[in-house]
Amino acid sequence: MEVSLPSPSLGKPGVLSDIHALFAVVNREWTIFRRYPSWIIALFIWPLIFPMMYILTARALSGPDGSGLQVFLQTTGATQYIGYIIVGTTVWMWQNIVLWDIGFALRNEQMRGTLESNWLSPTWRFSFLLGHTGPQLVSMAMFIAITALEFGLFFSVRLNGSIWMILLMMLAAVPAIYGLGFAFASLVITMKEANAFVFLIRGLVMIFCGITFPVSLLPGWMQTIAKFLPQTYLIHGMRAAAFSNAGISELSTDLLPLLLFGTFWLTVGYVTFVWMERRARQTGAIGQY
Amino acid sequence: MEMTTLSQPSIKTQLRALFVIARKDWKVFWRYPLNAVSHVFQPLIWVTPVYFMGKAFSTNGQAMGFAAYTGSGDYMSYILIGTALSNFIMTVFWGMGYALKEDMDAGVLESNWLTPISRLQILVGRTLTSLLTTTITSMVMLIIGALLFGFKPTGNTIAAILTAIPMLIGLYGFGFAFAAIVLVMREANTMVDVSSFLVQGFSGANFPVKSLPYWLIPVSLMLPLTYGFDAVRGWLLKTKTLLPLPVEVTLLIVSMFLMLWFGSWFFYRVERRVRTLGTLGQH
Repeated sequence: MEVSLPSPSLGKPGVLSDIHALFAVVNREWTIFRRYPSWIIALFIWPLIFPMMYILTARALSGPDGSGLQVFLQTTGATQYIGYIIVGTTVWMWQNIVLWDIGFALRNEQMRGTLESNWLSPTWRFSFLLGHTGPQLVSMAMFIAITALEFGLFFSVRLNGSIWMILLMMLAAVPAIYGLGFAFASLVITMKEANAFVFLIRGLVMIFCGITFPVSLLPGWMQTIAKFLPQTYLIHGMRAAAFSNAGISELSTDLLPLLLFGTFWLTVGYVTFVWMERRARQTGAIGQY
Repeated sequence: MEMTTLSQPSIKTQLRALFVIARKDWKVFWRYPLNAVSHVFQPLIWVTPVYFMGKAFSTNGQAMGFAAYTGSGDYMSYILIGTALSNFIMTVFWGMGYALKEDMDAGVLESNWLTPISRLQILVGRTLTSLLTTTITSMVMLIIGALLFGFKPTGNTIAAILTAIPMLIGLYGFGFAFAAIVLVMREANTMVDVSSFLVQGFSGANFPVKSLPYWLIPVSLMLPLTYGFDAVRGWLLKTKTLLPLPVEVTLLIVSMFLMLWFGSWFFYRVERRVRTLGTLGQH
């Protein structure tokens, strides 16, 4: 009696091949990013016009004699209102862009019809999501650098602190911001149209995290919610690092929660991805859109 | 030989066509109920940071700096009116262009173009449902705004609505011109987002234009929308207006006719060019 053995796979998965696959995804995303140069225009315009809405409203609230501004500076403890607002709006834009870019990474593949075929390749599937993060981090770094440059040049916003401390705060926030993006990306595959959920998450950041005001002005129950959002600590810490010359000991009260949130959200992101991957294979929903 | 068309256009058929377009959009809108909820809450989410920021600028709950510009310290009512009007502006201003883009992507633009109704009528039809849904969502937004932020209009509501009408009709002219640009450019999302932000910013949707840097004020004064926002607030909140109210209303009526004429002229010119090139079905 003849017994047919399963044919061995041509793929030879290993750590090296997984890293190779990850770089292939990074390379593809980088090529796509460079292929649409209109992004460059957005890169220069958005950092200016989004904060402008709040900056010009703040100007109006200051009054012609600037009397309102004195009240604002006393209430917030800030030395300048433009810098104060820019930090908040930049963090909001960072989370917003990550939700659209990383959050829709797999969904876009699904829409193009390439997700199912990618899924069949003998590689670590999380690399499809992780590969998007590299080019996204580069473009976000450019975005934040351009924001700082434009407001320094056009609005004379000057730092009164260490740039290294600002970078440290941002680095500590990366796991939380991108972990949330990973969890979101996995859910989008199942829930399909998820624009409303992006609006919800970015809305939470906008309302509770104090992008244009100190969190202490919020009612008590809102302050409690704000404590559970990592962006609250990032905004507070970045303001302290940029304009109050805060050192590592002063920033530790923001750094520690950020790192804890980072661990939490990265774990949630990975677990959600594994759950979604298993569920999608069971229900056959990976190719549906 | 004289060619005759099978269609027999009349006012009745034109109205029926408008109704059919509106009914289709109505069905699509309610097919995504989360989006409807989002329409109500999105504007409120955007103004919430302004509410708390205003508190940081206020002494004993009074935004004195703001009152010096506008004559009213009720900055939230000022901003909520601007937000509600902006919802309508978005609907008319950009709605027609977006609708064309949707039809292009769905591959139905060319077949719609072959129907025996005016192309401007197709564009207007695409705004009817949006106008109705925007009215509903804006009213809900203002009611929630009244509960959360204390929105209290104290002036003449009828006069404010009558003032907003020529502004909105005039915007149709701009919408036609913008739809023509979408026909040519096909992909216009960045342009839409950026120009929408700039136009609303310069026309004072969220703040009095007098507070702009002095070199930007002339740009603002050239936009008819600036007078629309200013006059509606003048009626509803009794704020200090840039010009006397009758002058602002006259400006809005004159600009309404000018914009309608220019918009339709530009649209037909571009649409003819696109048909000549045969690029209508491309996207």
